[in-house]
Amino acid sequence: MLKISVHLTIAVFIATALVILQTTASNLIWLSSLDMPVSLQVGLTTYFNDLITMNYLNALTVPRLQTTVPFFALIAVALFIAFFFARVGLNWIRISKRLAYSLAGGAAIIGIVILMPLEFYNLDLLPGARTFLGKMSLGACGMVSGFYFGSSLKERKSQ
Amino acid sequence: MIKSKILCFSFFAVLSFSSKLLADAPGYVYQVIAENLEHPWGIAVLDNNDLLVTELSGQLRLIKNGTLVDRPIEGVPEVLFAGQGGLSGIVIDPNYSENKKIYLAFSSPDAQKQTNTLEVISASFNETALTDVTTIFRASPSRKTAAHYGARMVFLDDGTLLITSGDGFNYREKAQYLDNHFGKIIRINTDGSIPEDNPFTNNPDFRSEIWSYGHRNPQGIVIKDGVVFAHEHGPMGGDEINLIEPGKNFGWPAITFGKDYIGALISPFTEKDGMEQPLKYWVPSIAPSGMTYYDRDLFPFWKGSLFISALVPGDVRRLTLEENAVVGEEIIFSDLGRVRDIATSKDGSILLATDGSNGKLIRVRPN
Repeated sequence: MLKISVHLTIAVFIATALVILQTTASNLIWLSSLDMPVSLQVGLTTYFNDLITMNYLNALTVPRLQTTVPFFALIAVALFIAFFFARVGLNWIRISKRLAYSLAGGAAIIGIVILMPLEFYNLDLLPGARTFLGKMSLGACGMVSGFYFGSSLKERKSQ
Repeated sequence: MIKSKILCFSFFAVLSFSSKLLADAPGYVYQVIAENLEHPWGIAVLDNNDLLVTELSGQLRLIKNGTLVDRPIEGVPEVLFAGQGGLSGIVIDPNYSENKKIYLAFSSPDAQKQTNTLEVISASFNETALTDVTTIFRASPSRKTAAHYGARMVFLDDGTLLITSGDGFNYREKAQYLDNHFGKIIRINTDGSIPEDNPFTNNPDFRSEIWSYGHRNPQGIVIKDGVVFAHEHGPMGGDEINLIEPGKNFGWPAITFGKDYIGALISPFTEKDGMEQPLKYWVPSIAPSGMTYYDRDLFPFWKGSLFISALVPGDVRRLTLEENAVVGEEIIFSDLGRVRDIATSKDGSILLATDGSNGKLIRVRPN
């Protein structure tokens, strides 16, 4: 159980770090297209700044709940739910855990991307989620996280 | 001993200076003109006691002889009342006493109702209805979001109309490109035609209505001695007041002092050659929502100031200017909650609209 909790925490960290990387990158790629001086140093500084500020306790205001949450908490909740359903689904469907949790991780992040605007006046708060390609790349971030989590679990022996 | 004397002298000098300021600062009283307004957004002064107020929900209301007329003005076009959208800006024609023309800015649903856009109409006003309603501007392209419309207007001395157009939130990058109306200040003639001396009329790929660009959500614009001042909402921090000149790029979102609502940096840059710096910026945000230039004598101490209504935490900022530079800021009217718009009445009293579904229209007079 402890081992699973550790792997789950690492999976949340991977998804958070990758989604924030996608956010930072989508901002900086656009800025460099305007000939703004985006160097490696600027990129790294911006990424680490985003990693910290997006995970402040008051980073994200949820209007309906009248509360603020750090970004990783949002991702953690989505991954918990998705992985729970993946675990239940594995009792019925015979696919590898890696694939099941990868799909679940991808679905979790896509779910955040699709559901967040419903809470925030139909606005895409994640700048990298405003295009189809952006949404897909965010989903891929979730898949990587799920792949890690699925790989950390032992596969059932074939009958 | 000498140190103590210096400290004592400094203390009394500061105290004396503060007392002088307090003595000069005007006392004032509030007079509620109208209550239960549904999200009042824009104020237009027809005469001392005759005002027009837009309600975001789509009604245009008349205050006649200081009293709110029960029946809304008829003939107002359909608006999209959603999110930040609705019936928004209002301005009266410089020759209103002769032609009775007014201009309204609002979020307008497209035919399929899947998208919407900022629209500006001109109309004749006969105190009960709008007639001769003519669309003189529709921002292009349309948007799916119901946020960041701008929608304030002001007349230049040459009779052309300036319209603020917001970036639509999801389309912020488009504020840097001249092939669209997102994040721009627009200049048109009152019949909707484009003045020939607009800065981007020579390039067929550019929208000729554009006067300045790189704006986020400008909701205050005034003229002072021929100089245009506009303020705009930043994201989390980075609200700005700018001195607007034709053809200039005000930087959003390539340079900004604000952060995204999720905490991420929108841009690590705050300056770049070819992009204008604000006269002043606010971190954290004050959410500037309207602006008036006070040039009347009723409050002599305030003459020559810019007044900015603010939604967060809810007050009015009086900015003092020297040679068009902001040299001072005073927070006033901080006991009214969110202030949506501010205007100067012809008699010099100040008019305020408070925000919300039970909005008030308040007149501020000397006590």
